[in-house]
Amino acid sequence: MKTTISSLALLLLAASFAPAQDSAVKSVLDRYADFRPAAKDLAMYQLDWAPSLAEAQKRALQEKRPVFLVIIHAQYGDLTSGHC
Amino acid sequence: MSWHGHRDDPKLPKPVREVWRRKFSNRRDKNRQSNVDLAVLDSKGELVHWFDGFRRVEPQGFRGGQKRESLASYTERELQIALLGLDPAEIREKKNPLVLPGLEGPGIRVFVQLLDDRMRAYRAPVVEAVALEKADWKALEYPRKKRTVDAGDLEKWLAQVYPPGVMERTSQQTKKVYQISKVEGTLTLESAGSSGKTRYAILSGQVKLTDEGPGDFSYEGKLEILLAYGSSQAKVVSLKGVFDGIYPRYSRVQERVRKIPLRAAFESLPLASADSRG
Repeated sequence: MKTTISSLALLLLAASFAPAQDSAVKSVLDRYADFRPAAKDLAMYQLDWAPSLAEAQKRALQEKRPVFLVIIHAQYGDLTSGHC
Repeated sequence: MSWHGHRDDPKLPKPVREVWRRKFSNRRDKNRQSNVDLAVLDSKGELVHWFDGFRRVEPQGFRGGQKRESLASYTERELQIALLGLDPAEIREKKNPLVLPGLEGPGIRVFVQLLDDRMRAYRAPVVEAVALEKADWKALEYPRKKRTVDAGDLEKWLAQVYPPGVMERTSQQTKKVYQISKVEGTLTLESAGSSGKTRYAILSGQVKLTDEGPGDFSYEGKLEILLAYGSSQAKVVSLKGVFDGIYPRYSRVQERVRKIPLRAAFESLPLASADSRG
């Protein structure tokens, strides 16, 4: 009888633990989905960025396209990553 | 294409030299100039049109009349002027796919946003891709038993959690942003069940980030990371998670510190999981 009760308790514990774990996993995934910027907020990455002015001018000549150049009078970082 | 530098740089590219020659020859507008200029070059690299990135026209006319032009309208108007100077054959509409900063090898992509209501530009997301070596994943291997992880072992990617363009955290000498030099915190890593052949673990805890600048400047937030593993191997297959913190920003106008939510999202790049196995 004692063994049966212990086994039952273990089963109940396992049953209650699994959903708790599922909800913890879901909670992190929900927060990730909430915090990760949506595509509309990342529209700047739809621009055809070139890694350097020389590369942009080389491609412009090959593809007969203009270059849009952002000039920053400082050295505050990387406009492409946003850490600037 | 973006370029940054100073007027006394020894090798200024020709278009930059030309824009700045025109800009700085106009002494009348000296006090109304920003440090961002936008230029359009034709396919041969010749300067077609340039304009100050932020010098909008002030409203003209009577009191209570016209509102100040929006930055978007101003930029659009200036680009329309540029179009007039381009060969029509060079003007083609092209839709590009969304391509986020990535890596050729394994790593983690970090998205950071400072949710500043007063300076909405800071809400624009930062996206960094951080390359990781096999050794960098070691601390995150599957926990058979609950264990602690030193946040310092995750410095490579957690050090990217700082906001963009925060001038008071920039060195006046080098003009460079102070980098995060210390990542501290004792995190807990514990298993979190399984689904089919995938096992999960959650890494969580408080993280303190300190930059290399003066004043021992630091801020904190809660880290929650979900890690996925295969059914038998301890190596990380994928990672997703968040940092939810508060950034104490000093307001020079109000002469006080404002506490602004600083958020980050993390995701392993697809190659990370594949290459980190074995």
